[in-house]
Amino acid sequence: MPKINLSGVEKNYGGNSANAVADLDLEIGDGEFMCLLGPSGCGKTTTLRMIAGLEHLTAGEIRVGPKLVDSVVEGVFVPPERREMGLVFQSYALWPHLTIERNTDFGLRLRKMPKAEREQRVDQVMKTLGIEKYRDRYPSQLSGGQQQRVALARMLAVNPEVLLLDEPLSNLDAALRLEMRAELKRLHAEFKTTIVFVTHDQWEAMTLATTIAVMSEGQLQQVGTPNDIYDRPANRFVAQFVGNPPINIVELGDAKSELSRLANAYLGSRFAELRDAGSIGIRPEALRLADAERGVAEGALSGEAEVTGILPTGGSWIIELTASGEKLFLTTHQSPEIEVGDAVTWWAKSKALHVFDKAGQRLEAADRLMRPTKLH
Amino acid sequence: MRPLKASLAAPTRGQRLRYRLKVALREPTTTIGILAAALFAYLIVVPIISMLSDAMRVQFGDERRIKQDVGELTWYYIDRVFFSRISHDLFWEPLVNTLSVAAGAITLSMLVGGTLAWLLSRTDMFGRRWFATALIVPYMLPAWTFALAWTTLFKNRTVGGQPGWMESLGFSPPDWLSYGQLPVTIILALHYSPFVILLFGNALRRFDSQLEDSARILGASRLTVASKIIMPLMRPSLMSAMVLIFAKCLGEFGVPYVLGLPVNFDVLATSLYQNISSRQVGVGAVLAGAIMLIGIITITIDARLMREARRFVTIGSKGSMNRLSPLGILRMPATGFAALMFVLSVGLPIGTLFLSTIMRMPGQFNLDNFTLDYWIGTNLNTVALQTGILLSPDLWNAAWNSLRIVGVASITSGILGLLVGYVVARTPVRPLGTFLRQVTFLPYLVPGIAFAAAYLSLFAVPRGPIPALYGTTLILMLALIADQMPYASRAGIAAMTQLGKEPEEAAQIAGAGWFRRMISIVIPIQKGSLTTGILLPFISGIKGLSLFVVLAVPSTDVLTTYSLRLVDYHYTQAANAVVLIIAGLAYFGALLGQKLTKTNLAQGLGN
Repeated sequence: MPKINLSGVEKNYGGNSANAVADLDLEIGDGEFMCLLGPSGCGKTTTLRMIAGLEHLTAGEIRVGPKLVDSVVEGVFVPPERREMGLVFQSYALWPHLTIERNTDFGLRLRKMPKAEREQRVDQVMKTLGIEKYRDRYPSQLSGGQQQRVALARMLAVNPEVLLLDEPLSNLDAALRLEMRAELKRLHAEFKTTIVFVTHDQWEAMTLATTIAVMSEGQLQQVGTPNDIYDRPANRFVAQFVGNPPINIVELGDAKSELSRLANAYLGSRFAELRDAGSIGIRPEALRLADAERGVAEGALSGEAEVTGILPTGGSWIIELTASGEKLFLTTHQSPEIEVGDAVTWWAKSKALHVFDKAGQRLEAADRLMRPTKLH
Repeated sequence: MRPLKASLAAPTRGQRLRYRLKVALREPTTTIGILAAALFAYLIVVPIISMLSDAMRVQFGDERRIKQDVGELTWYYIDRVFFSRISHDLFWEPLVNTLSVAAGAITLSMLVGGTLAWLLSRTDMFGRRWFATALIVPYMLPAWTFALAWTTLFKNRTVGGQPGWMESLGFSPPDWLSYGQLPVTIILALHYSPFVILLFGNALRRFDSQLEDSARILGASRLTVASKIIMPLMRPSLMSAMVLIFAKCLGEFGVPYVLGLPVNFDVLATSLYQNISSRQVGVGAVLAGAIMLIGIITITIDARLMREARRFVTIGSKGSMNRLSPLGILRMPATGFAALMFVLSVGLPIGTLFLSTIMRMPGQFNLDNFTLDYWIGTNLNTVALQTGILLSPDLWNAAWNSLRIVGVASITSGILGLLVGYVVARTPVRPLGTFLRQVTFLPYLVPGIAFAAAYLSLFAVPRGPIPALYGTTLILMLALIADQMPYASRAGIAAMTQLGKEPEEAAQIAGAGWFRRMISIVIPIQKGSLTTGILLPFISGIKGLSLFVVLAVPSTDVLTTYSLRLVDYHYTQAANAVVLIIAGLAYFGALLGQKLTKTNLAQGLGN
């Protein structure tokens, strides 16, 4: 039974603007940790706010459990204060005039919870998040990370069945972000809440989510597990958005490009069925360099290039190759025994290739041919 | 994975409308907005339209002269004001006077205020912090405080009553020094210099020294830097100060009334006042319309300039540095100049007024000439006002009226301002927000005296269910509320926009309905700006004259009109004492506000 169900949801802010969200169908399962991932302006925050009821729809409907909470056709609108959800804002939106304790018990007071019970609940949530020693302080006296915990505590206190998080970690520094990520994962396991998490950070999405929904320009691009998204991107947008350094894309129809000719010849000779292919993508870690002991693997796509940059990232290296003016990025965990200016041979196995059609959609036919072992 | 496409029909137009209505009804924002819009349409738009239509219709009493019936359309008043034989006295000469006074005041205040602003914000002059507050004080005092101080010093035998100090000391000042253009210009310049100090000073302070340094490193001389880098970037703020001063001079009534009347030196505001007080409603309406039009043009220019100013957003960037220029040998003289300006614009007028209230005969500094009779005496040998001013019931009556009327109006407009800000920041119905923002700004374009004329025109007679309000305190309150809305709503909009909607949305998510959100979240957070939104109108209301002078009657006297009446009856000491009380109220009110809100209220004193 899905917890939240969006069907045909559309949002238009009026005027001649394009749809902020267009024809969105999305199911969020009970207990799921769903990440809405996409570049800024893709409609992910709007989607979240529509689920919360802070934005109204232009078309479509939203159900929470069996209950219809928002529908244009049916004329139903349940206001945010009655949707029983929690939402943590990017800016935290703590109430500056209330102490941490009053911030945390605000929702409980509204629900007229008896004092003893309320205090117990607040204590528990504060302890869980490690903010009990700040209870009499005001938000402005806390650091960003502490404020973030208060924002979470405030929402967790009322024990919502659905917790919405709008880029809650983006204002934290790197170390804190890592810590809070682990904390969120722990909270999700502990409270068994359904979480919808908006982020533009693919790392965050990959590490936290049980399911990722990738959006672009108001359109849902792909829904799947983090591995699905990374290993089988549904289209070029998803392939390019997820992964760092980004996936190498080789256009197939470009007669001026040496790489294009190479890839064309490769596909033509080995996978003649893939006439519709428009481009191929190769993840940087799927690219290898041929060395003295191991040459190019059997049946791999390969070519010559010059090393034009070696960027150590600590523990791994990003190597920039240039083949007749075009760049390829390669990552490796082994110390590269090459120098800038060296001529090298690169290769990639056929099962590591992502083939897209001319419209940029993944060619499932290519997967059947190139990844015969992986059934789906 | 992605589910199969649900077969969901696209909503029809009717369904969409029903849905949006449902959403809107959940949120009282829009409802409040519509109510507020209706209220302001009635309090602001209707009076102005009513007044403008008076300009085109035959007024009661003019039927014979115009040979048309009351209420018929006529060009008579417009012709009379702009083209007739008396148009010179009615409009053109006052216009020229207004423009030349404004031009003089602008030039003077630019010179004085600009220099002070630079000294305060970019040099190592002594006592900059103290002067930064002290030099703003002239603006907290009512402008005609200076006018009364001036007459106390320079009054000559052209008018009756007690002589001025100069006269008593045996030197008879000529009319051009005592009355008319020169004193009016000087006083307005002193009064509005703080504008320049604030606006220009802020721009100077925000100016990034790195911009200057870059030019210097590229080989520009100091002069080139000043003319090619600093001045172009400062121009918008200077122009803006000029435009504001002009708009203020346009509506200024008290100063030219006190100093212009003896030599028939009329400006537009006094010409309008005279027509209104002699019941020339039609002509008054045309004059008021003309003043409004000039005001609108001015503000439009200002809006343009502000847009231009916004292009320079790089100023005040993160790396902005403000380096002070050492004055060297000029450090002492510069401090002396600032001190002199303070003495001239605050010390001298206040001192003069105070001394005048404790002296029997002006300008005679013998010990036996000093008395406290005018403050607390009894059985004085005068026609009226036989007690000291503090013992006069009239004063307390007027003070009570002032506090009551201005207090109620300020609190109301402060709350309305916050509500307007709330609606403007929140409503999904854009046109509603735009309308509210513009309609509450409208009174800003209309000088107080023209606005009062509009109220007079609308509410002087019973209209429909509303009885004639002239002579009641209600009309004063309503007019004052409307007149203060630009400041109140500007404060409210700024505060609500700054707050953002997230704290409120967080409360909503937590389960709080609209009313609970207002009480527990919005109002407590906005406490400071609500205080400002009430206090600013209060201060400007307490020292305000132009609205009251048209709308108040003796039974609804407030402090300002009471002191003006005393001036007219030549009770100089008493009048000066009342003005000192007003100045004290305004000054300490501003001080209190600064303490309460922990901000520099002077910077918000745009009115």
